Amino acid sequence: MGKKALFYVAVLSAFIATLICAPICRAADPIKLGACEPLSGTFKDIGDRYLEGVQYAAKVINEQGGLLGRKVEVIPIDTELKPDVATRKATKLILKDNVKYFCGGTGSSVGGAMSVLAEKNNALMLSYGMAAASLTGAKCSRNFFRACLNTDTQSYALAMWVAKSGYTKVLGIVQDYSFGHEAMAAFIKKVKELNPSVNIVGELYHKAGEKDFAPYISQIINSGAEVVWTPNWGNDLTLLIKQGKNLGMKAKIASYYLNDEYLIESVGDDSAIIGNVTAESYMLTIPTEKNKEFIQGFYKDKGYYPSWLRGKAYTATMFWAEAVKKAGKDDVEAVIKAWEGLTYEGPAGTYYMRPCDHQAQVPVWVAEMVKESKFFKHAFVGVPNMIAAKDIEITCEETGCKMK
Amino acid sequence: MKQRSHASLLAWGTLILVAGVLLPLAVRQYQLAILTEIIIFALFAVSYNLLLGYAGLLSFGHAMFFGTGAYTVAIVINHIPSLSFFGAVILSLSVTTITGLVVGSFLLRHKGTPFALLTLAFNALFYAIATKWHSITGGDDGLSIFRPDINIGFAQLSTSSIPAFYYITFIIIGLVMLFSWYFTRTAMGQTVLLMRENEERMKFLGYNTNVSRLILFVFTGFLAGLAGIFYALFFQFTSITAISIDMSTIVLLMVIIGGTGSFVGPIIGACVYIYLQDFLSDITDRWPFIMGLIFIFMILYVPKGLSGLIYSLIERLRGRRHLSRKVEIAE
Repeated sequence: MGKKALFYVAVLSAFIATLICAPICRAADPIKLGACEPLSGTFKDIGDRYLEGVQYAAKVINEQGGLLGRKVEVIPIDTELKPDVATRKATKLILKDNVKYFCGGTGSSVGGAMSVLAEKNNALMLSYGMAAASLTGAKCSRNFFRACLNTDTQSYALAMWVAKSGYTKVLGIVQDYSFGHEAMAAFIKKVKELNPSVNIVGELYHKAGEKDFAPYISQIINSGAEVVWTPNWGNDLTLLIKQGKNLGMKAKIASYYLNDEYLIESVGDDSAIIGNVTAESYMLTIPTEKNKEFIQGFYKDKGYYPSWLRGKAYTATMFWAEAVKKAGKDDVEAVIKAWEGLTYEGPAGTYYMRPCDHQAQVPVWVAEMVKESKFFKHAFVGVPNMIAAKDIEITCEETGCKMK
Repeated sequence: MKQRSHASLLAWGTLILVAGVLLPLAVRQYQLAILTEIIIFALFAVSYNLLLGYAGLLSFGHAMFFGTGAYTVAIVINHIPSLSFFGAVILSLSVTTITGLVVGSFLLRHKGTPFALLTLAFNALFYAIATKWHSITGGDDGLSIFRPDINIGFAQLSTSSIPAFYYITFIIIGLVMLFSWYFTRTAMGQTVLLMRENEERMKFLGYNTNVSRLILFVFTGFLAGLAGIFYALFFQFTSITAISIDMSTIVLLMVIIGGTGSFVGPIIGACVYIYLQDFLSDITDRWPFIMGLIFIFMILYVPKGLSGLIYSLIERLRGRRHLSRKVEIAE
């Protein structure tokens, strides 16, 4: 055989080998998960913490042998908390890198846009924090899953606490966008249902990112409210507490998101924190064995605790991984089917993915803020009480979801 | 000479047409999506340059038309499900044009700083409406839409795929861009130029410069509105970003990068901006900072923009050739 013939045989062999290898090599590609979070700007610290939770979950999954024998790769997407930016970047990942799975926790506006994008591109969007109830209600989609509480369930939990604790004068203050409006409506509905004697003495709406709460605080003080209920998050909650304390606001605060050591540190005054009440799907103080294991593992790896957002993102990502495992293949349609009706036992209790609206039924943990904590030197959440998922359940008919 | 110029134009036109038609066969879907976005923003930038470059009117509110187009098409598609693709486009264009007429009637007597500040104020007003009128605009959540198919009587053309939408954008915006170029060559287009140079003289000659300014404003609003409509149809989503001051700044940046002195300048600017944004956002989340630096650099050192730079290079090369030919003749 001449040199030329040998060369042609070698080229042909390489070509055939590539053809044979291609599907195998592709099978070894990682399963990509695009994490849509604000990774710059005002809400960067929120996005960073969610992302850490997802990345830690991917690490745990990979250490356990990966998903379907493949590694999980997390691709951070800086949404800048803008739905158009999120969808533009996600579209790029879909077209360029064939990313099929997305997750995110910040901004219901981003969640709504990503839900539609996922539906159009046969992708899957998982949320562990975008809480507007409509995302699994009137705007629900087959391609959108939520593995955390929503404005309805979280408001219901705090409404139960208000109704039981005997307070009669309650004021609500929320950010003026869909999330705030939905949270307020749910809270008022439930609290009136549970205890008609509770008087809602005010409903205040302020722009997200408000810098001056003084006018609102004077309205709160003048209303004589005993409890200020708020789903505010980030700096809007910090400033409400800080400026409220400075201006002499005495009302107890019942909030979605007091379970945040960054917030407590930035308030810088434990007396403004202690005695307030919070309700969430994850907190460090949840007394389960699985949570202890999770905290230990995370602390060993990172050197700090997986508080609040990290825990929520971790739990939801592990739940998604269970669905992929159950599906047995990297196919969005198969994963959707596998996830519907799936149960997952995580650090915060038992999660069940309801098929009718893709809203996970999760327990809610309610706790009072206390002075002593084994996790931090400042005040933090005490040991919480669990409200079972069925006690705060909203029926499928009530959600308004018409799944296609 | 004129014949040569026409031949050259025809050659360029044919080249762009052939390239535009064949490109989808050669590039990946993602590149095609970027190209579609460039065409849309090129129209937006061209419309802005008719104000800034041709009429010398600095506007900080051009996004109000872009955003009005984007929101209107999203609203009509969501609320009138039976509306056809072209029905939605025409209806939205009508709304944008009327908006241009109404806003323009407040601005026609102003130029310079008062004009710039008034456009800024109007943009802020439109932005506030988009943010606060939640039930219609979706507020911070924005509006998602599904692109309607094109019904041409005997056949239904799907617009959902990227190549299909690219061709629609290329044809429609290409034709409108061609008309815009023709507009700059018409008596009206020349009037705008003369108005910029010496408005008093134009008045003495009997021109009603206020009416000319109004016509130009409505026309640029129409073009920006069309760009906004295609922006919403392309992303199948619109949000307050489309009507924000940021969007007005982006188009200003595109025009400054490309150069205000020619018709193609803004097109080059849009192309460079979109590609840079795509490239830089892969490298760093701080890409707007780099864009800012580029903006400062262009203003300080390349005031005529990239198109000015290209033209001066061509002129220099021509000059050298001309000179060397002269030397040859002398020898």
